[in-house]
Amino acid sequence: MNVEAISTALIAAAILTSMPLMLAAVGEAIGERAGLLNLGIEGSMLCAAFGSFWIALETGSVTVGLLGGAVVGLGIGLVFGILATVFHANQVVLGLGITLGGTGGTAFLFREGYGSTQPLLALGIGRPFEGWLDWFPVIGPAIGDQRWFVFVAWIMVLAGHFFLWRTRAGLQLRAAGESPFGLESVGGNVTAVRIGAAAIGGVFYGFGGAALSVIELGFFSPGITAGAGFLAVALAMLGRLSPLRVGLFTLAFGLLTGFDTGLQIAGVNARPELLRMLPFAGVVIGLAILGRGVRLPPALGQPYGGIASRR
Amino acid sequence: MVDACARQSRLDEDVFMKAHLFRPGRRSSWFHALVLLFLAAPTGPVLAEETAVDRVAIVTPASRTNQGWDQQGVDNLVEVGEALDIEIEVVEDAGYDDITPILNDLASDGTDLIVCHASGYQSVCPEFAQAMGIAVVVVENPAAVTDGLVADIETQAQEAAYLAGVVAGLETRSGTVAVVVSGEPPTWNFMTVGFAEGLHSVNPDATLVYQVIGEAAYDDAPNAKRVTESVIAAGADIVFGMGDGASFGMIQAINEHNLDRETEDQVWFIDVIGDKSGSDAGQYLLTSVLFDYRGAYTELIQQLKDGGFGEVHTMSLENEGVLLLDFASFADPGTLGTVEEVRAQIVNGEIAVSAIGDADGVRARLEELFPR
Repeated sequence: MNVEAISTALIAAAILTSMPLMLAAVGEAIGERAGLLNLGIEGSMLCAAFGSFWIALETGSVTVGLLGGAVVGLGIGLVFGILATVFHANQVVLGLGITLGGTGGTAFLFREGYGSTQPLLALGIGRPFEGWLDWFPVIGPAIGDQRWFVFVAWIMVLAGHFFLWRTRAGLQLRAAGESPFGLESVGGNVTAVRIGAAAIGGVFYGFGGAALSVIELGFFSPGITAGAGFLAVALAMLGRLSPLRVGLFTLAFGLLTGFDTGLQIAGVNARPELLRMLPFAGVVIGLAILGRGVRLPPALGQPYGGIASRR
Repeated sequence: MVDACARQSRLDEDVFMKAHLFRPGRRSSWFHALVLLFLAAPTGPVLAEETAVDRVAIVTPASRTNQGWDQQGVDNLVEVGEALDIEIEVVEDAGYDDITPILNDLASDGTDLIVCHASGYQSVCPEFAQAMGIAVVVVENPAAVTDGLVADIETQAQEAAYLAGVVAGLETRSGTVAVVVSGEPPTWNFMTVGFAEGLHSVNPDATLVYQVIGEAAYDDAPNAKRVTESVIAAGADIVFGMGDGASFGMIQAINEHNLDRETEDQVWFIDVIGDKSGSDAGQYLLTSVLFDYRGAYTELIQQLKDGGFGEVHTMSLENEGVLLLDFASFADPGTLGTVEEVRAQIVNGEIAVSAIGDADGVRARLEELFPR
């Protein structure tokens, strides 16, 4: 048995499968930084996954499909942001509503559109750096042979990190979650900033859902996210709402997910249920250890009524 | 009930005789006797014994469009319903939690028979049948069979899976074959062991890689794809996949691997339950273990009508409840002859395929056949 080939495949699969989750988790982190707790990522990802799949199937273009998914995510993010800030809707209820609506709505649309068939997209997606890193054993080809969108996703994560910590708009966004009154007192518009954060977050998890159906799998089926949206919320907190950390933790989660497969192939005689627990146990342990230092934005989940409401 | 009908029938005859037959001036008595026979026939005991079955329901844990276990059960029952002019109600996506509220709802709608289409419903449905007196069909639970109330379908497809294993053993080029499952329910376990025994019978030196995606990961396509990519990296050139919705993850892993590859380097897929050969998913389909519930459902409904309900119905190669899909064109033509011979040997009892339904038993048998 070729151990090197198996290890490469496991790492490559971990990088690919963690990518949609990573985008969703970073989207959540950006929203939470602005004070918005969105539990509707699961539903949003499903809507984006279905929308991008449908568009890619109709147009024959993966890129157009991906952009379509991002637009769907943007739209849902805007709706969430407006309802949560302008209309002061309860964010938890709103998020769960989006998840329930997205789950049922996409299942209905898929059934209506495709009946009992299961169309598949061709997965001949470009790998721009294929073979470039083969000189480095195991990890080289696992990274170098990835599809182009994996690199775009990591660029998005780095851009999100830079935006949050190195730009004035990012500072305003963080202030909307840390001290919305302070932001308004220096002339900032908390409502606009939060809606903007919800929109940016929406683009991220829109791309996440789209990447799942169009890049990773090449098909859509009802409930395809299988709880990834909720896992994204946990990973965002595990990464202390820092996009770069969130990205790295998600990658570690993906590697742990593949670990059980590696052990099974190696013939380790352990119950697969126990092996499958590894990544989730890792998240729980990680949250217990690293989560102790997490200080969530004080205004997270709180509606903002303006300075006038404080008087 | 029968006595009451017979009594009423005799009463009707007496009244008719007194009123018409012996009245003076009427037609001859033989004519009236014929009329009597004609009138008496519908009240005879034959129809009184048959129970009416107008409405049958099926409860599935997942979507009826998953092109797997759930869809095959629903599609087959709908076909039987159309043929027998019976109303079919489908309750899909019921999950694996307590389905008692669903069963109660079906009972209140006047359902005559409920097909509980999951091994996960092994205890809830027999309990419901006992409590409500409504007939149910369970799968893989022969111990629950009760006269008039609970019947069991044994989807022991190990015989057809054995044939699939023979095909894999003859067709593998790398000598490594993988079994990827989305869980370890009895049905998957029966087929895993059957497949392994078939593989071992023609290719004992092969390497068998056994991978479990997760517990009840029937729709977990992303992990199915990841796991399948890994077994391909481990050298498998034939993947026997049991996944339901997750199967599409396996199929896409194979489709992606085979892009721009020559035939000898391609990986082939062996599917279960439904026929995907004409769809997008059928491109690299070597063969498939097909389930056909129509015979079982027809027989069970007839038994409920006749009063013989409450038996174990085993789907086998002999009654064509399980069968092997015609091979893909890229398979070796000689394989077909071997498979036909083996099939005949299984049907006539020369080959006995193990029926192992528990996960620990599966592991022990695999270790015995293909020690690592």
